[in-house]
Amino acid sequence: MRNIKILFSVILLGAIFSGCGYNTMVEKQEAVASQWGNVQNAYQRRADLIPNLVATVKGYAEHEQETLTKVTEARAKATQITIDPENLTDENIREYQQAQAELSAALSRLLLIQENYPELKANQNFLALQDELAGTENRIAVERNRFNQLVKEYNAYIRKFPQIIYAGLFGFKPKAYFQAVEEAQTAIKVQF
Amino acid sequence: MKILSKIKHRFWLFILFFGVAAVYAQDIPKPMYPPCLVNDFARLFSPEETRALEQKLRAYHDSTSTQIYVVTVNDLEGYAVSDYAFKIGEEWGVGQKGKDNGAVILIKPKVGNSRGQVFIATGYGLEARLNDAYVGRIVRDRMIPYFRENDYFGGVNAAVDAIIERLSGEFDADEQQDNEGIPIGLIVVSVIGLIVILRLIFGNNRHINNGGSNRGGGRFIFFPPFGGGSNRTGGFGGTFGGGGGGRFGGGGAGGSW
Repeated sequence: MRNIKILFSVILLGAIFSGCGYNTMVEKQEAVASQWGNVQNAYQRRADLIPNLVATVKGYAEHEQETLTKVTEARAKATQITIDPENLTDENIREYQQAQAELSAALSRLLLIQENYPELKANQNFLALQDELAGTENRIAVERNRFNQLVKEYNAYIRKFPQIIYAGLFGFKPKAYFQAVEEAQTAIKVQF
Repeated sequence: MKILSKIKHRFWLFILFFGVAAVYAQDIPKPMYPPCLVNDFARLFSPEETRALEQKLRAYHDSTSTQIYVVTVNDLEGYAVSDYAFKIGEEWGVGQKGKDNGAVILIKPKVGNSRGQVFIATGYGLEARLNDAYVGRIVRDRMIPYFRENDYFGGVNAAVDAIIERLSGEFDADEQQDNEGIPIGLIVVSVIGLIVILRLIFGNNRHINNGGSNRGGGRFIFFPPFGGGSNRTGGFGGTFGGGGGGRFGGGGAGGSW
């Protein structure tokens, strides 16, 4: 009984002494959450470009109906999945990433067909959309890197002593990283 | 002897302390010194061209605080041209802090069989006006036609004109004074702090050493190499302090020929 009492007061003292540790945990968690918002924004930006792209391609390449449908479907699927920053678990992120990777793959097939349609390839609107798309892929990469960086800091922090003692108590769970999936890794290659 | 080795020990500690920042980012070249906006590592421009370009960019910087860096390299060291441009933008801090109004025009010339590559990276603050599609058009229509003729200056000059035209009225120079004021104060404070610290450390040694000669020599070794960020007069009469801490988020467009 006495042992438990001592143990309890030690934990309590630890918690009091490193009250700033608790605040830091909150800050780091918030940083991860807001960065997750940026990641989703970057992906959303890509999704927003797609209807426009599909419409442009349709005008030149009507025979590519199947490719176009696939892109639209993949987009619909990908935009359905959003993750609340509270639930950044391995499983959720993997699911999210999988959907986005499928969209990436469909998109790169769509961009490949331009080789068969010289008029499409020279279309100013199409070129502009390609630039925007390439820029969006860059933004996605940047935001994902920053997200992983912040998650790393957060995870490392809550695992350190003495935070580790009470991180679980207050519900600070480790958050998952973006993994480099094979398809997602090869970001769309836009030829100029 | 013992004291000497002790000093040596401390010396290395200091080197370690100040050296970390320098070692941190090695793959991207350091900006030229004294700081300038045209960093022609690949030597694509003649001295007159460099001067003309620098003058134009400097004047634009002075009136709007917008920093347009022109960087040429012979080797991208395995990076995608876009990544290389973002890295330069982030690590050199191109653009003003808070405004993020910096741009990096990166050119890797066509050498032998390798393709020429160009990328214009835009800081967060420029993305709204200089959207990727517009930048892409600048690269395709204004730069690459010149580059195909090996006229690197012509292409860069045309692109800079196009960017300046597009950005007109977006930024002004108001905050520049503030931005330059802070580093000076910071430097003064850190130098004083450093002297105090060194006094403390070497003051102790003097006790043991009874007035040894290592005091004076030691103090000056450790003056930190403040250089990159400080305000120095470049060869242009005006002051240019280098990057202002702008940030990049992946905006921009490029092309190859």
